[in-house]
Amino acid sequence: MVARLKLVMGVQGRLTVGRVLLWIIGLWLAYMWILPFVWMVSTSFKLPGEVMTQTIEWIPRTWTLDNYRVVFEKPIVRWLWNSMVVTTAITMASIMLGAAAGYALARMNFPGRNVFFMMLLLSLMIPTEMTIVPRFIAFLKLRATDSYAALILPPIAEVFSVYLFRQFFLSLPRELEEAAAMDGASRFRIFLVIALPLARATVIAAAVLLFTTNWNAFLWPLLITFSEEMKTLPIGMAAFAPVTMNRTQIESYAPGMAAMTILGVPSLIVFLFLQRYFMEGVISTGIKG
Amino acid sequence: MTTRQLPADTSLRTRLGRMTWKGERIEWSAYFYVLPFFVPFVIFTIAAIIFGGYVSFTEWRIIGDPLWVGFANYVRAFNDDFVPKVWGNTFQLAAIVVPGTTILALLFALYVNQRLRGFTASRLAFYAPRVVSVTVVGLVWVWMLDTRFGVVNQYLHRAGIPYIPWLTNPDWVLWAVGITTIWWDLGFHMVILLAALQDIPSELKDAASIDGASALQQFWHVVMPLLRPAISLVITLEIISAFRIFSQIFVMTQGGPAGASFSIIFYIYERGFMNTELGYSSALSLMLFLTILVVTLIQLRIIRERA
Repeated sequence: MVARLKLVMGVQGRLTVGRVLLWIIGLWLAYMWILPFVWMVSTSFKLPGEVMTQTIEWIPRTWTLDNYRVVFEKPIVRWLWNSMVVTTAITMASIMLGAAAGYALARMNFPGRNVFFMMLLLSLMIPTEMTIVPRFIAFLKLRATDSYAALILPPIAEVFSVYLFRQFFLSLPRELEEAAAMDGASRFRIFLVIALPLARATVIAAAVLLFTTNWNAFLWPLLITFSEEMKTLPIGMAAFAPVTMNRTQIESYAPGMAAMTILGVPSLIVFLFLQRYFMEGVISTGIKG
Repeated sequence: MTTRQLPADTSLRTRLGRMTWKGERIEWSAYFYVLPFFVPFVIFTIAAIIFGGYVSFTEWRIIGDPLWVGFANYVRAFNDDFVPKVWGNTFQLAAIVVPGTTILALLFALYVNQRLRGFTASRLAFYAPRVVSVTVVGLVWVWMLDTRFGVVNQYLHRAGIPYIPWLTNPDWVLWAVGITTIWWDLGFHMVILLAALQDIPSELKDAASIDGASALQQFWHVVMPLLRPAISLVITLEIISAFRIFSQIFVMTQGGPAGASFSIIFYIYERGFMNTELGYSSALSLMLFLTILVVTLIQLRIIRERA
Protein backbone atom coordinates (compact mmCIF):
# COMPACT_ATOMS: atom_id res chain seq x y z
CA MET A 1 0.00 0.00 0.00
CA VAL A 2 2.70 2.49 1.04
CA ALA A 3 4.87 1.32 -1.85
CA ARG A 4 1.98 1.88 -4.29
CA LEU A 5 1.34 5.37 -2.91
CA LYS A 6 5.04 6.22 -3.16
CA LEU A 7 4.99 5.13 -6.79
CA VAL A 8 1.90 7.21 -7.54
CA MET A 9 3.35 10.28 -5.83
CA GLY A 10 6.77 9.82 -7.40
CA VAL A 11 8.46 9.86 -3.98
CA GLN A 12 11.85 8.43 -3.29
CA GLY A 13 12.88 7.96 0.31
CA ARG A 14 10.65 8.27 3.35
CA LEU A 15 6.92 8.69 3.01
CA THR A 16 5.43 10.86 5.73
CA VAL A 17 1.87 11.98 6.40
CA GLY A 18 3.10 15.52 5.80
CA ARG A 19 4.24 14.68 2.30
CA VAL A 20 0.95 13.00 1.40
CA LEU A 21 -0.91 16.06 2.65
CA LEU A 22 1.44 18.37 0.73
CA TRP A 23 0.87 16.36 -2.42
CA ILE A 24 -2.91 16.52 -2.15
CA ILE A 25 -3.04 20.21 -1.16
CA GLY A 26 -0.56 21.16 -3.88
CA LEU A 27 -2.54 19.48 -6.63
CA TRP A 28 -5.78 20.94 -5.28
CA LEU A 29 -4.29 24.45 -5.29
CA ALA A 30 -3.04 24.03 -8.86
CA TYR A 31 -6.55 22.96 -9.84
CA MET A 32 -8.07 25.98 -8.04
CA TRP A 33 -5.56 28.26 -9.72
CA ILE A 34 -6.84 27.49 -13.22
CA LEU A 35 -10.54 27.41 -12.28
CA PRO A 36 -11.01 31.08 -13.31
CA PHE A 37 -9.96 30.10 -16.85
CA VAL A 38 -12.38 27.16 -16.85
CA TRP A 39 -15.13 29.49 -15.64
CA MET A 40 -14.25 32.00 -18.37
CA VAL A 41 -14.49 29.43 -21.17
CA SER A 42 -17.61 27.83 -19.72
CA THR A 43 -19.42 31.19 -19.40
CA SER A 44 -18.49 32.13 -22.95
CA PHE A 45 -20.62 29.29 -24.33
CA LYS A 46 -23.67 30.02 -22.18
CA LEU A 47 -26.81 31.85 -23.21
CA PRO A 48 -26.76 35.29 -21.51
CA GLY A 49 -29.96 34.33 -19.68
CA GLU A 50 -28.35 31.22 -18.25
CA VAL A 51 -25.19 32.85 -16.95
CA MET A 52 -26.49 33.82 -13.53
CA THR A 53 -27.51 30.65 -11.78
CA GLN A 54 -28.36 29.84 -8.17
CA THR A 55 -25.59 27.26 -8.00
CA ILE A 56 -22.37 27.06 -10.00
CA GLU A 57 -22.89 25.32 -13.33
CA TRP A 58 -19.60 24.40 -14.95
CA ILE A 59 -21.22 22.91 -18.06
CA PRO A 60 -23.50 25.23 -20.08
CA ARG A 61 -27.15 24.11 -20.11
CA THR A 62 -27.48 25.24 -23.70
CA TRP A 63 -24.35 25.61 -25.82
CA THR A 64 -24.27 28.72 -27.95
CA LEU A 65 -21.87 30.68 -30.16
CA ASP A 66 -23.98 33.85 -29.96
CA ASN A 67 -21.51 35.51 -27.58
CA TYR A 68 -18.72 35.05 -30.08
CA ARG A 69 -20.92 36.58 -32.75
CA VAL A 70 -21.33 39.67 -30.53
CA VAL A 71 -17.56 39.90 -30.09
CA PHE A 72 -16.97 39.75 -33.83
CA GLU A 73 -19.22 42.79 -34.31
CA LYS A 74 -16.17 44.71 -33.05
CA PRO A 75 -13.16 45.08 -35.39
CA ILE A 76 -11.22 42.43 -33.51
CA VAL A 77 -9.43 41.11 -36.59
CA ARG A 78 -8.02 44.60 -37.09
CA TRP A 79 -7.03 44.77 -33.39
CA LEU A 80 -5.36 41.39 -33.68
CA TRP A 81 -3.44 42.58 -36.73
CA ASN A 82 -2.34 45.74 -34.88
CA SER A 83 -1.16 43.71 -31.93
CA MET A 84 0.77 41.35 -34.20
CA VAL A 85 2.48 44.14 -36.14
CA VAL A 86 3.32 46.25 -33.09
CA THR A 87 4.50 43.40 -30.87
CA THR A 88 6.60 41.73 -33.57
CA ALA A 89 8.26 45.01 -34.53
CA ILE A 90 9.07 45.92 -30.92
CA THR A 91 10.39 42.45 -30.10
CA MET A 92 12.65 42.25 -33.14
CA ALA A 93 13.95 45.80 -32.75
CA SER A 94 14.58 45.38 -29.01
CA ILE A 95 16.55 42.21 -29.59
CA MET A 96 18.68 43.64 -32.37
CA LEU A 97 19.43 46.89 -30.51
CA GLY A 98 19.90 45.04 -27.24
CA ALA A 99 22.24 42.39 -28.64
CA ALA A 100 24.47 44.96 -30.37
CA ALA A 101 24.64 47.34 -27.40
CA GLY A 102 25.04 44.48 -24.94
CA TYR A 103 27.91 43.05 -26.98
CA ALA A 104 29.72 46.39 -27.18
CA LEU A 105 29.30 46.98 -23.44
CA ALA A 106 30.66 43.52 -22.67
CA ARG A 107 33.52 43.30 -25.14
CA MET A 108 34.63 46.60 -26.61
CA ASN A 109 36.69 49.39 -25.13
CA PHE A 110 35.48 52.93 -25.79
CA PRO A 111 35.13 56.23 -23.92
CA GLY A 112 31.70 56.53 -22.32
CA ARG A 113 31.18 52.83 -21.76
CA ASN A 114 30.78 53.21 -18.02
CA VAL A 115 28.56 56.26 -18.39
CA PHE A 116 26.28 54.31 -20.74
CA PHE A 117 26.09 51.44 -18.32
CA MET A 118 25.37 53.67 -15.31
CA MET A 119 22.55 55.30 -17.28
CA LEU A 120 21.05 51.88 -17.88
CA LEU A 121 21.23 50.90 -14.23
CA LEU A 122 19.73 54.18 -13.06
CA SER A 123 16.86 53.98 -15.52
CA LEU A 124 15.92 50.56 -14.13
CA MET A 125 14.94 52.34 -10.92
CA ILE A 126 12.62 54.78 -12.62
CA PRO A 127 9.05 53.63 -13.25
CA THR A 128 8.08 53.93 -16.93
CA GLU A 129 4.93 55.75 -15.82
CA MET A 130 7.08 58.83 -15.23
CA THR A 131 7.75 59.05 -18.92
CA ILE A 132 4.17 58.77 -20.19
CA VAL A 133 3.17 62.42 -19.93
CA PRO A 134 6.29 63.75 -21.75
CA ARG A 135 6.10 60.99 -24.36
CA PHE A 136 2.45 61.77 -24.90
CA ILE A 137 3.15 65.48 -25.35
CA ALA A 138 5.99 64.73 -27.79
CA PHE A 139 3.81 62.57 -30.03
CA LEU A 140 0.98 65.07 -29.78
CA LYS A 141 3.26 67.94 -30.90
CA LEU A 142 4.57 65.81 -33.77
CA ARG A 143 0.96 65.02 -34.72
CA ALA A 144 1.94 61.35 -34.57
CA THR A 145 -0.52 60.02 -31.98
CA ASP A 146 -2.80 57.15 -32.95
CA SER A 147 -0.17 55.65 -35.25
CA TYR A 148 2.05 52.58 -35.45
CA ALA A 149 5.10 54.80 -34.92
CA ALA A 150 3.69 55.98 -31.59
CA LEU A 151 2.92 52.42 -30.53
CA ILE A 152 6.24 50.93 -31.63
CA LEU A 153 8.99 53.54 -31.08
CA PRO A 154 8.94 54.31 -27.33
CA PRO A 155 9.19 50.69 -26.11
CA ILE A 156 11.99 49.56 -28.48
CA ALA A 157 14.84 50.87 -26.32
CA GLU A 158 14.29 48.13 -23.75
CA VAL A 159 16.98 48.31 -21.08
CA PHE A 160 16.35 44.79 -19.90
CA SER A 161 17.30 43.42 -23.31
CA VAL A 162 20.72 45.14 -23.27
CA TYR A 163 21.28 43.97 -19.73
CA LEU A 164 20.48 40.36 -20.58
CA PHE A 165 22.81 40.30 -23.58
CA ARG A 166 25.61 42.07 -21.73
CA GLN A 167 25.42 39.46 -18.96
CA PHE A 168 25.50 36.66 -21.50
CA PHE A 169 28.47 37.97 -23.49
CA LEU A 170 30.40 38.61 -20.27
CA SER A 171 29.92 34.96 -19.33
CA LEU A 172 31.14 33.79 -22.74
CA PRO A 173 34.84 32.78 -22.89
CA ARG A 174 36.88 35.16 -25.05
CA GLU A 175 39.09 32.48 -26.63
CA LEU A 176 36.84 31.73 -29.62
CA GLU A 177 36.58 35.38 -30.58
CA GLU A 178 40.30 35.97 -30.07
CA ALA A 179 41.13 33.03 -32.33
CA ALA A 180 38.89 34.49 -35.04
CA ALA A 181 40.54 37.90 -34.62
CA MET A 182 43.95 36.26 -35.12
CA ASP A 183 42.64 34.84 -38.37
CA GLY A 184 41.88 38.38 -39.45
CA ALA A 185 38.10 38.40 -39.00
CA SER A 186 36.64 41.88 -38.49
CA ARG A 187 34.84 42.80 -35.26
CA PHE A 188 31.49 42.84 -37.04
CA ARG A 189 32.09 39.37 -38.49
CA ILE A 190 33.07 38.03 -35.08
CA PHE A 191 29.90 39.49 -33.56
CA LEU A 192 27.61 38.22 -36.30
CA VAL A 193 29.11 34.81 -37.06
CA ILE A 194 30.59 33.71 -33.72
CA ALA A 195 29.13 35.57 -30.72
CA LEU A 196 25.50 35.99 -31.79
CA PRO A 197 24.84 32.35 -32.74
CA LEU A 198 26.14 31.32 -29.32
CA ALA A 199 23.58 33.65 -27.75
CA ARG A 200 20.67 31.65 -29.19
CA ALA A 201 19.23 30.76 -25.78
CA THR A 202 19.40 34.40 -24.66
CA VAL A 203 17.71 35.52 -27.86
CA ILE A 204 14.85 33.09 -27.29
CA ALA A 205 14.47 33.97 -23.61
CA ALA A 206 14.48 37.69 -24.42
CA ALA A 207 12.07 37.20 -27.33
CA VAL A 208 9.55 35.30 -25.24
CA LEU A 209 9.62 37.85 -22.43
CA LEU A 210 9.54 40.88 -24.73
CA PHE A 211 6.73 39.42 -26.80
CA THR A 212 4.50 38.66 -23.81
CA THR A 213 5.23 42.00 -22.11
CA ASN A 214 4.44 43.99 -25.23
CA TRP A 215 1.54 41.81 -26.32
CA ASN A 216 -0.05 42.54 -22.95
CA ALA A 217 1.05 46.20 -22.75
CA PHE A 218 -1.79 48.33 -21.47
CA LEU A 219 -1.12 51.89 -20.30
CA TRP A 220 0.78 53.33 -23.26
CA PRO A 221 -1.43 51.84 -26.02
CA LEU A 222 -4.48 53.00 -24.05
CA LEU A 223 -3.24 56.60 -23.99
CA ILE A 224 -1.87 56.91 -27.49
CA THR A 225 -4.67 55.31 -29.52
CA PHE A 226 -7.93 57.15 -30.05
CA SER A 227 -9.59 55.54 -33.03
CA GLU A 228 -11.11 52.08 -33.03
CA GLU A 229 -8.93 50.87 -35.88
CA MET A 230 -5.61 51.72 -34.17
CA LYS A 231 -6.34 49.90 -30.91
CA THR A 232 -4.40 46.83 -29.88
CA LEU A 233 -6.25 43.72 -28.80
CA PRO A 234 -6.05 44.18 -24.99
CA ILE A 235 -7.22 47.80 -25.28
CA GLY A 236 -10.04 47.06 -27.70
CA MET A 237 -11.23 44.10 -25.66
CA ALA A 238 -11.30 46.21 -22.48
CA ALA A 239 -14.50 47.71 -23.88
CA PHE A 240 -16.21 44.52 -22.71
CA ALA A 241 -15.49 45.37 -19.06
CA PRO A 242 -18.81 45.78 -17.21
CA VAL A 243 -17.46 48.88 -15.50
CA THR A 244 -17.07 50.71 -18.80
CA MET A 245 -20.52 49.59 -19.92
CA ASN A 246 -22.29 51.25 -17.00
CA ARG A 247 -22.75 47.99 -15.19
CA THR A 248 -25.32 46.25 -17.34
CA GLN A 249 -23.71 43.10 -16.10
CA ILE A 250 -26.43 40.64 -16.95
CA GLU A 251 -25.96 41.37 -20.62
CA SER A 252 -22.20 41.80 -20.58
CA TYR A 253 -20.77 38.81 -18.74
CA ALA A 254 -21.35 36.20 -21.46
CA PRO A 255 -20.00 38.20 -24.44
CA GLY A 256 -17.26 39.55 -22.16
CA MET A 257 -16.08 36.05 -21.37
CA ALA A 258 -16.22 35.14 -25.06
CA ALA A 259 -13.97 38.13 -25.79
CA MET A 260 -11.61 37.11 -22.99
CA THR A 261 -11.48 33.54 -24.30
CA ILE A 262 -10.45 34.85 -27.71
CA LEU A 263 -7.86 37.10 -26.08
CA GLY A 264 -6.51 34.72 -23.45
CA VAL A 265 -6.60 31.18 -24.82
CA PRO A 266 -4.07 31.70 -27.64
CA SER A 267 -1.55 33.07 -25.10
CA LEU A 268 -2.17 30.04 -22.88
CA ILE A 269 -1.63 27.63 -25.77
CA VAL A 270 1.63 29.32 -26.80
CA PHE A 271 2.72 29.18 -23.17
CA LEU A 272 1.93 25.46 -23.02
CA PHE A 273 4.29 24.77 -25.92
CA LEU A 274 7.06 27.19 -24.97
CA GLN A 275 6.85 26.95 -21.16
CA ARG A 276 10.53 26.06 -20.78
CA TYR A 277 11.55 29.36 -22.39
CA PHE A 278 9.13 31.36 -20.26
CA MET A 279 10.59 29.95 -17.05
CA GLU A 280 14.18 30.37 -18.27
CA GLY A 281 13.47 33.96 -19.19
CA VAL A 282 12.17 34.74 -15.71
CA ILE A 283 15.15 33.06 -14.10
CA SER A 284 17.66 34.91 -16.25
CA THR A 285 16.11 38.26 -15.30
CA GLY A 286 15.73 37.40 -11.68
CA ILE A 287 18.68 35.45 -10.41
CA LYS A 288 21.49 36.39 -12.67
CA GLY A 289 20.26 39.96 -13.01
CA MET B 1 45.25 67.29 -54.55
CA THR B 2 44.18 63.78 -53.79
CA THR B 3 47.74 62.61 -53.42
CA ARG B 4 48.32 65.34 -50.86
CA GLN B 5 45.29 64.50 -48.74
CA LEU B 6 45.94 60.80 -48.61
CA PRO B 7 48.87 60.81 -46.17
CA ALA B 8 47.07 63.23 -43.85
CA ASP B 9 44.00 61.00 -43.94
CA THR B 10 45.95 57.86 -43.09
CA SER B 11 47.74 59.62 -40.31
CA LEU B 12 44.41 60.63 -38.76
CA ARG B 13 43.22 57.08 -39.08
CA THR B 14 46.34 55.64 -37.56
CA ARG B 15 46.27 58.26 -34.82
CA LEU B 16 42.67 57.33 -34.02
CA GLY B 17 43.63 53.69 -34.22
CA ARG B 18 46.43 54.19 -31.70
CA MET B 19 44.37 56.14 -29.19
CA THR B 20 43.82 54.39 -25.89
CA TRP B 21 41.23 54.57 -23.16
CA LYS B 22 42.03 53.14 -19.74
CA GLY B 23 45.21 51.62 -21.11
CA GLU B 24 43.56 49.78 -23.98
CA ARG B 25 43.13 50.56 -27.63
CA ILE B 26 39.80 52.26 -28.38
CA GLU B 27 37.46 50.42 -30.72
CA TRP B 28 35.68 53.29 -32.38
CA SER B 29 33.27 50.97 -34.14
CA ALA B 30 31.69 50.30 -30.72
CA TYR B 31 29.55 53.40 -31.22
CA PHE B 32 27.86 51.72 -34.20
CA TYR B 33 26.76 48.98 -31.82
CA VAL B 34 25.76 51.23 -28.96
CA LEU B 35 24.11 54.23 -30.61
CA PRO B 36 21.18 52.46 -32.31
CA PHE B 37 20.06 51.59 -28.80
CA PHE B 38 21.14 54.70 -26.95
CA VAL B 39 19.63 57.26 -29.31
CA PRO B 40 16.04 56.06 -28.79
CA PHE B 41 16.85 55.32 -25.14
CA VAL B 42 18.04 58.86 -24.52
CA ILE B 43 15.07 60.35 -26.40
CA PHE B 44 12.28 58.23 -24.95
CA THR B 45 13.60 57.70 -21.44
CA ILE B 46 16.30 60.14 -20.32
CA ALA B 47 15.07 63.22 -22.17
CA ALA B 48 11.47 62.28 -21.39
CA ILE B 49 12.19 62.18 -17.65
CA ILE B 50 13.96 65.55 -17.74
CA PHE B 51 11.17 67.07 -19.83
CA GLY B 52 8.64 65.56 -17.41
CA GLY B 53 10.42 67.35 -14.58
CA TYR B 54 10.02 70.62 -16.47
CA VAL B 55 6.34 69.95 -17.22
CA SER B 56 5.71 69.45 -13.50
CA PHE B 57 6.56 73.13 -12.95
CA THR B 58 4.09 74.33 -15.56
CA GLU B 59 0.41 74.47 -16.17
CA TRP B 60 -0.23 72.73 -19.45
CA ARG B 61 -3.65 71.82 -20.78
CA ILE B 62 -2.45 70.03 -23.94
CA ILE B 63 -3.82 72.78 -26.19
CA GLY B 64 -1.73 75.93 -26.04
CA ASP B 65 1.66 76.60 -24.49
CA PRO B 66 2.98 75.63 -21.10
CA LEU B 67 2.79 78.30 -18.42
CA TRP B 68 5.59 78.37 -15.82
CA VAL B 69 3.99 78.18 -12.37
CA GLY B 70 6.94 77.25 -10.17
CA PHE B 71 6.05 74.95 -7.30
CA ALA B 72 2.30 75.56 -7.62
CA ASN B 73 1.58 71.96 -8.70
CA TYR B 74 3.44 70.59 -5.69
CA VAL B 75 1.74 73.02 -3.33
CA ARG B 76 -1.55 71.95 -4.82
CA ALA B 77 -0.69 68.29 -4.29
CA PHE B 78 -0.05 68.90 -0.59
CA ASN B 79 -3.41 70.61 -0.22
CA ASP B 80 -5.30 68.13 -2.38
CA ASP B 81 -7.53 65.99 -0.12
CA PHE B 82 -7.48 63.23 -2.67
CA VAL B 83 -3.68 62.83 -2.60
CA PRO B 84 -3.47 61.26 0.88
CA LYS B 85 -6.44 59.08 -0.01
CA VAL B 86 -4.82 57.85 -3.22
CA TRP B 87 -1.46 57.29 -1.54
CA GLY B 88 -3.26 55.50 1.31
CA ASN B 89 -5.11 53.25 -1.12
CA THR B 90 -1.85 52.34 -2.83
CA PHE B 91 -0.06 51.58 0.45
CA GLN B 92 -3.05 49.44 1.49
CA LEU B 93 -2.88 47.57 -1.80
CA ALA B 94 0.85 47.02 -1.33
CA ALA B 95 0.17 45.78 2.21
CA ILE B 96 -2.17 43.15 0.76
CA VAL B 97 -0.25 42.21 -2.36
CA VAL B 98 3.39 42.17 -1.19
CA PRO B 99 3.08 39.84 1.84
CA GLY B 100 0.35 37.82 0.12
CA THR B 101 2.39 37.14 -2.98
CA THR B 102 5.68 36.56 -1.14
CA ILE B 103 4.29 34.04 1.35
CA LEU B 104 2.16 32.17 -1.18
CA ALA B 105 4.91 32.17 -3.82
CA LEU B 106 7.34 30.75 -1.26
CA LEU B 107 4.91 28.02 -0.17
CA PHE B 108 4.08 27.14 -3.78
CA ALA B 109 7.78 27.04 -4.68
CA LEU B 110 8.53 24.76 -1.72
CA TYR B 111 5.75 22.42 -2.83
CA VAL B 112 6.84 22.36 -6.49
CA ASN B 113 10.45 21.82 -5.42
CA GLN B 114 9.44 18.55 -3.71
CA ARG B 115 8.93 17.11 -7.20
CA LEU B 116 5.91 15.05 -6.22
CA ARG B 117 3.99 13.61 -9.15
CA GLY B 118 2.18 16.32 -11.08
CA PHE B 119 4.57 19.08 -10.04
CA THR B 120 5.23 20.20 -13.62
CA ALA B 121 1.50 20.55 -14.23
CA SER B 122 1.17 22.51 -10.99
CA ARG B 123 4.02 24.83 -11.93
CA LEU B 124 2.31 25.38 -15.27
CA ALA B 125 -0.99 26.17 -13.57
CA PHE B 126 0.57 28.63 -11.10
CA TYR B 127 2.39 30.49 -13.87
CA ALA B 128 -0.48 30.51 -16.40
CA PRO B 129 -2.26 33.74 -15.28
CA ARG B 130 0.96 35.64 -15.86
CA VAL B 131 0.92 35.03 -19.62
CA VAL B 132 -2.54 36.44 -20.38
CA SER B 133 -3.38 40.09 -20.83
CA VAL B 134 -4.39 42.07 -17.78
CA THR B 135 -7.70 42.69 -19.54
CA VAL B 136 -8.43 38.99 -19.26
CA VAL B 137 -7.25 38.85 -15.65
CA GLY B 138 -9.38 41.83 -14.63
CA LEU B 139 -12.53 40.86 -16.45
CA VAL B 140 -12.48 37.23 -15.38
CA TRP B 141 -12.13 38.33 -11.75
CA VAL B 142 -14.93 40.87 -12.01
CA TRP B 143 -17.11 37.91 -12.92
CA MET B 144 -15.51 35.58 -10.34
CA LEU B 145 -16.13 38.19 -7.61
CA ASP B 146 -19.71 39.07 -8.61
CA THR B 147 -21.58 39.59 -5.34
CA ARG B 148 -24.49 37.25 -5.92
CA PHE B 149 -23.51 34.95 -8.80
CA GLY B 150 -19.69 34.92 -8.74
CA VAL B 151 -17.90 31.64 -8.13
CA VAL B 152 -16.01 32.96 -5.08
CA ASN B 153 -19.09 34.06 -3.19
CA GLN B 154 -20.99 30.93 -4.16
CA TYR B 155 -18.23 28.81 -2.61
CA LEU B 156 -18.01 31.05 0.45
CA HIS B 157 -21.79 30.95 0.79
CA ARG B 158 -21.70 27.17 0.78
CA ALA B 159 -19.25 27.42 3.68
CA GLY B 160 -21.76 29.61 5.52
CA ILE B 161 -20.14 32.99 4.83
CA PRO B 162 -22.53 35.77 3.73
CA TYR B 163 -22.17 37.29 0.26
CA ILE B 164 -19.26 39.75 0.18
CA PRO B 165 -19.78 42.90 -1.95
CA TRP B 166 -16.24 42.69 -3.34
CA LEU B 167 -16.46 45.32 -6.05
CA THR B 168 -19.35 47.46 -4.88
CA ASN B 169 -18.29 48.21 -1.30
CA PRO B 170 -15.45 50.69 -0.55
CA ASP B 171 -14.21 48.48 2.31
CA TRP B 172 -13.80 45.43 0.12
CA VAL B 173 -12.73 46.74 -3.26
CA LEU B 174 -9.00 46.89 -2.49
CA TRP B 175 -9.16 43.26 -1.38
CA ALA B 176 -10.78 42.38 -4.69
CA VAL B 177 -8.02 44.13 -6.66
CA GLY B 178 -5.40 42.64 -4.33
CA ILE B 179 -6.62 39.07 -4.73
CA THR B 180 -6.71 39.50 -8.49
CA THR B 181 -3.16 40.87 -8.49
CA ILE B 182 -1.85 38.01 -6.35
CA TRP B 183 -3.44 35.48 -8.71
CA TRP B 184 -1.85 37.23 -11.67
CA ASP B 185 1.65 37.86 -10.28
CA LEU B 186 2.35 34.86 -8.10
CA GLY B 187 3.75 32.54 -10.79
CA PHE B 188 6.51 34.95 -11.77
CA HIS B 189 7.83 35.26 -8.23
CA MET B 190 7.39 31.54 -7.60
CA VAL B 191 9.70 30.75 -10.53
CA ILE B 192 12.40 33.09 -9.16
CA LEU B 193 12.19 31.45 -5.72
CA LEU B 194 12.11 28.00 -7.27
CA ALA B 195 15.36 28.68 -9.14
CA ALA B 196 16.95 29.85 -5.90
CA LEU B 197 15.72 26.71 -4.10
CA GLN B 198 17.22 24.50 -6.78
CA ASP B 199 20.59 26.23 -6.34
CA ILE B 200 20.79 25.08 -2.71
CA PRO B 201 23.14 22.09 -2.63
CA SER B 202 21.33 19.05 -1.27
CA GLU B 203 24.45 18.05 0.72
CA LEU B 204 23.72 20.93 3.07
CA LYS B 205 20.26 19.63 3.87
CA ASP B 206 21.56 16.07 4.12
CA ALA B 207 24.20 17.19 6.59
CA ALA B 208 21.57 18.98 8.66
CA SER B 209 19.27 15.98 8.69
CA ILE B 210 22.12 13.67 9.76
CA ASP B 211 22.70 16.08 12.64
CA GLY B 212 19.09 15.35 13.59
CA ALA B 213 17.41 18.54 12.37
CA SER B 214 13.68 18.25 11.74
CA ALA B 215 12.21 19.34 8.41
CA LEU B 216 11.10 22.62 9.96
CA GLN B 217 14.50 23.28 11.55
CA GLN B 218 16.18 22.43 8.25
CA PHE B 219 13.96 24.92 6.48
CA TRP B 220 14.48 27.69 9.01
CA HIS B 221 18.21 27.31 9.62
CA VAL B 222 19.52 25.99 6.29
CA VAL B 223 17.11 26.89 3.49
CA MET B 224 15.84 30.31 4.63
CA PRO B 225 19.25 32.01 5.03
CA LEU B 226 20.26 30.86 1.57
CA LEU B 227 16.97 32.07 0.12
CA ARG B 228 17.28 35.55 1.59
CA PRO B 229 18.76 37.24 -1.52
CA ALA B 230 16.01 35.79 -3.73
CA ILE B 231 13.28 36.75 -1.26
CA SER B 232 14.73 40.25 -1.02
CA LEU B 233 14.65 40.52 -4.82
CA VAL B 234 11.08 39.25 -4.99
CA ILE B 235 9.93 41.74 -2.34
CA THR B 236 11.65 44.65 -4.12
CA LEU B 237 10.04 43.73 -7.45
CA GLU B 238 6.64 43.34 -5.79
CA ILE B 239 6.82 46.70 -4.02
CA ILE B 240 7.69 48.43 -7.28
CA SER B 241 4.88 46.70 -9.16
CA ALA B 242 2.37 47.26 -6.34
CA PHE B 243 3.01 51.01 -6.49
CA ARG B 244 2.46 50.90 -10.24
CA ILE B 245 -0.91 49.14 -10.18
CA PHE B 246 -3.11 50.63 -12.86
CA SER B 247 -4.51 48.25 -15.46
CA GLN B 248 -6.38 46.02 -13.01
CA ILE B 249 -8.13 49.09 -11.65
CA PHE B 250 -8.87 50.45 -15.09
CA VAL B 251 -10.52 47.20 -16.13
CA MET B 252 -12.18 46.22 -12.83
CA THR B 253 -13.36 49.38 -11.05
CA GLN B 254 -12.29 52.61 -12.81
CA GLY B 255 -11.32 53.77 -9.31
CA GLY B 256 -14.76 53.20 -7.83
CA PRO B 257 -16.84 52.83 -5.79
CA ALA B 258 -16.60 56.42 -4.52
CA GLY B 259 -12.87 56.65 -5.29
CA ALA B 260 -12.10 53.78 -2.91
CA SER B 261 -9.85 52.01 -5.41
CA PHE B 262 -8.04 55.00 -6.93
CA SER B 263 -4.36 54.04 -7.07
CA ILE B 264 -1.61 56.63 -7.52
CA ILE B 265 -1.15 55.86 -11.22
CA PHE B 266 -4.89 55.81 -11.79
CA TYR B 267 -5.06 59.31 -10.28
CA ILE B 268 -2.12 60.43 -12.48
CA TYR B 269 -4.00 59.04 -15.48
CA GLU B 270 -7.28 60.63 -14.45
CA ARG B 271 -5.74 64.08 -13.84
CA GLY B 272 -3.47 64.07 -16.87
CA PHE B 273 -5.55 62.41 -19.51
CA MET B 274 -9.19 62.73 -18.48
CA ASN B 275 -8.82 66.32 -17.21
CA THR B 276 -5.83 67.35 -19.37
CA GLU B 277 -3.89 68.70 -16.40
CA LEU B 278 -0.51 67.55 -17.66
CA GLY B 279 1.53 69.72 -15.28
CA TYR B 280 -0.21 68.45 -12.16
CA SER B 281 -0.07 64.91 -13.48
CA SER B 282 3.71 65.19 -13.98
CA ALA B 283 4.20 66.54 -10.48
CA LEU B 284 2.25 63.57 -9.10
CA SER B 285 4.38 61.09 -11.05
CA LEU B 286 7.57 62.65 -9.69
CA MET B 287 6.13 62.25 -6.19
CA LEU B 288 5.34 58.63 -6.99
CA PHE B 289 8.94 58.04 -8.05
CA LEU B 290 10.25 59.51 -4.80
CA THR B 291 7.79 57.36 -2.84
CA ILE B 292 8.95 54.18 -4.58
CA LEU B 293 12.58 55.15 -4.04
CA VAL B 294 12.12 55.77 -0.31
CA VAL B 295 10.06 52.62 0.28
CA THR B 296 12.55 50.46 -1.63
CA LEU B 297 15.52 51.90 0.27
CA ILE B 298 13.80 51.34 3.63
CA GLN B 299 12.91 47.79 2.65
CA LEU B 300 16.47 47.00 1.52
CA ARG B 301 17.84 48.41 4.76
CA ILE B 302 15.46 46.30 6.87
CA ILE B 303 16.37 43.13 5.01
CA ARG B 304 20.09 43.86 5.20
CA GLU B 305 19.92 44.51 8.94
CA ARG B 306 18.18 41.20 9.50
CA ALA B 307 20.84 39.37 7.53
